[in-house]
Amino acid sequence: MRISENELIESCKLAVNRAIKKGADSAEAYSVSSVETEASIERNDMKLGKFHQGSGIGIRVLKNRALGFSSVNMLSREEINESVDASIKIASKGSYDQYNIIPNTKVPQKLSGIYDREAQDFKSEDSVKNAVEMLQTARRYDERISVDNGSFNNSLNSIAIVNSNGVECVETVSSFTWYIMGMAIDGKEVSSFDFQFGGSHHLKDIAIEGTARNFAENVVKSLGSKKCQPFKGTLVLSPHAVAELILPTLVNSVNSNNVQKGRSSFAGKIEKEIACKELTITDDATWSDGLSASSFDREGVPHKKLDIINKGILKSYLYNTYTACRDKVNSTGHASGDEESSPGVGATNIIFKEGNSSFDDILSEVKKGILVTRFSGNVNPVSGDFSGVVKGGHLIINGERIHPLRETLIAGNIFETLFKISGISKDREKIFNIFAPYIKVEDISVTSG
Amino acid sequence: MQISIDNLQKILEKAIHSSYAEARYQRRVRNEIVIGNGEIEEAKSTRIEGIGFRVLLNGAWGFSSTNSAVSESMIDAIDDAVKMAKISATAQKKKTRLVETKLSNGVFKPPINDSLEDHSLEEKMTLVRKTELGTREYFDTVKAASCSYREIIDKKIIVTTDGASAEIFNSKPEFRITAVAARNGDRVSATETAGVTGGWRDLFEKRSAEEMSRKAAKTAQKILDAKHPKGERSKVILDSGMVGLIAHEAVGHTVEADFVLSGSIVKGKIGEKVASDLVTLVDSGFSDIVGGAAGTILVDDEGVSAGRTVVINNGILESYLHNRETAAEFDVETTGNARAFEYSDEPLIRMRNTYIEPGDYELDEMIQEIDHGYLLKGPRSGQADANGEFMFGAQEAYLIEKGEVRELLKGVTVSGRALDVLQTVDALGKEFSYDIGAGYCGKKQLAKVDGGGPYLRCESLIGGMQ
Repeated sequence: MRISENELIESCKLAVNRAIKKGADSAEAYSVSSVETEASIERNDMKLGKFHQGSGIGIRVLKNRALGFSSVNMLSREEINESVDASIKIASKGSYDQYNIIPNTKVPQKLSGIYDREAQDFKSEDSVKNAVEMLQTARRYDERISVDNGSFNNSLNSIAIVNSNGVECVETVSSFTWYIMGMAIDGKEVSSFDFQFGGSHHLKDIAIEGTARNFAENVVKSLGSKKCQPFKGTLVLSPHAVAELILPTLVNSVNSNNVQKGRSSFAGKIEKEIACKELTITDDATWSDGLSASSFDREGVPHKKLDIINKGILKSYLYNTYTACRDKVNSTGHASGDEESSPGVGATNIIFKEGNSSFDDILSEVKKGILVTRFSGNVNPVSGDFSGVVKGGHLIINGERIHPLRETLIAGNIFETLFKISGISKDREKIFNIFAPYIKVEDISVTSG
Repeated sequence: MQISIDNLQKILEKAIHSSYAEARYQRRVRNEIVIGNGEIEEAKSTRIEGIGFRVLLNGAWGFSSTNSAVSESMIDAIDDAVKMAKISATAQKKKTRLVETKLSNGVFKPPINDSLEDHSLEEKMTLVRKTELGTREYFDTVKAASCSYREIIDKKIIVTTDGASAEIFNSKPEFRITAVAARNGDRVSATETAGVTGGWRDLFEKRSAEEMSRKAAKTAQKILDAKHPKGERSKVILDSGMVGLIAHEAVGHTVEADFVLSGSIVKGKIGEKVASDLVTLVDSGFSDIVGGAAGTILVDDEGVSAGRTVVINNGILESYLHNRETAAEFDVETTGNARAFEYSDEPLIRMRNTYIEPGDYELDEMIQEIDHGYLLKGPRSGQADANGEFMFGAQEAYLIEKGEVRELLKGVTVSGRALDVLQTVDALGKEFSYDIGAGYCGKKQLAKVDGGGPYLRCESLIGGMQ
């Protein structure tokens, strides 16, 4: 049987009370329980049905402002006690850090739209049915499609947080997620690899057909690839490429922990221009369609919408309680992580504001450039230098797709690229927790083998 | 949790009608200390314990796991695995078979010099603190640093209905130091790592924490002054870490039999020449040639002894990497590559220690014979595709002109198709080491792996800013 929300709260209370009794100055417990079924496909066939039921608790204690953390995946009294004692032992060997505090925030308002009652009745058989349907949709598109693997998952996750400052919150989230991955094989030619995925909180929003079709279309279109001559030109990044190329560096740079530790190029740039004025990005855990939606963060601090970049101006870093205390500001509700780690700092749902042009208009404006479906390579999140291979890319000349590309490398610097944006599409795509458009950038080096 | 081989054997009897069932108990302790710029970012101890059940019924797999050793919970879990197998069987076209093989019985423990448990939390914390501080003190330009120590200590029991009963111990520590250098708004970083299977002495056998710290600081400082390369096809010499990464990512994944069946680039190429005659590429559960490789497993998660598999023998493709299922499909012996990261993960085909065997060159000779090329050291992140197309970054890339090593360049990547690149190998060094043991391989779940080789000379595409 699944562990109830009340049982989770009681486990947390048990841990916090013991920690205080054992000499901690303050304590926080974060417990989880989850039930998950997964139907996986492999090599164009059903592969495995999997059922997992799990739980765990992570205990953070502060003793003379020194941190100790311990976790265990069992919720019995003995296991919790042992784990609390381990965290106290670690804290007593640690060092004083004046910014180590545990939050004291008001009870968050419950976010609606992230829990579907029907998810409780979703059967293992339904997971298998969805996985098989996704596979068949892709295979029907073209006989050259080969699905390497994929899966359909259904999960219910409950999270409870209790701390010694009186914070007490609990929430259950339902999720359906799916992905498909593979290539097209035409005689001896193997296309570029592609993967597509999707997710929703609600049964009614399961959309496996679209995911399967996008995957199939991408791999078939990348057959017949050729190299191209080196040039400097335009890139049109797909929402996936935006998520892979631009976003990790941006998220790294607005992470207050990196800013404070000298690992961000955005240090000292709040209210400064860091991108062209068409670019507006928010972080919003209250966007219930996004898979990172929840009412509160890893420390129980309520979530709210946050402007990160507004018309090219850097507006805010992402803070948890520790980094906020350091900068003498309030937490923005971006404590991240699970029960196996003390809270870090992380983004939730990242939303790009839509642009003015359609995707077709953006493509038609390209004189010479590349449509980048996916990017696979190295991005140095500190310097912003990137260099990598274009996956499923197409050479574009005068707005026309000329041919798919292989062994094509792009290189540049993300921070410079943010000023070279020349177009953002109206069309946006949801990728789990990201809502991103097509972005056109100019003046990028393209090399080929 | 009190679990014995007997317990698990009794529970497996409940998997009635199944043709095969396996139980894997695991207790894992992970300890971690991370210090950045003098502050403790993480100091933690985590523990997981549980049992994963996998059942083959009507030719289909079902899997379920529980974190409870209460026998009712274990019976529920195995019932769930049976139920999931039955549902899978209704949709699965091709029926799964397993190859018969010799299964392991007994207690298995890799060599451990100086047990991690004999070193106190305090000692580990002091070392991380001292190393991190020291890294920031070498040069004025090194403004930030972080240092981490992590250890995984495992106990597993694997029991199968066809005869495996193995008790397995493992110990895998890792150490990592990053230096960030900055000047006039430019910021660069350099990272040095060590990761092994073994004890405290094994972790620092190759280099002390201080040596790694000095190297990271010095490299970050040097990269600050480095220029970007121009893109070109060129002669390159790769160090053991780069060779290990290519052997793992660009070749190793393409020879995993599940991947081969999906149509990887080496499908149907057993017996064909796929690399230069000089290249012998191995994936081994043991730490061959030198000790301590991080991917060492003595027994895989299907209870099969994890031996040495020659994948490419003097340029000829000789074997794929198998579990019992793909071995049955290819009608060969399993190679002992079934691995699961935690009890709640099902075993998948994963690599262990993947390397290219050494040759007879000195590094100096390899450099002297190059008129124009690059020496690449220290792999950074990268990726590889099903067709063997890969792209990896190098932490240090030195220009070679007229047989001499010249200036350092930054932001350098090396790319190409793995098998094309391996055809161009014309020299292999004498020295050998494993160098990617601090990292993990991700394929649905994590695995601790290692890779290595000698210095290797080949032709490849160098990328960077124009």
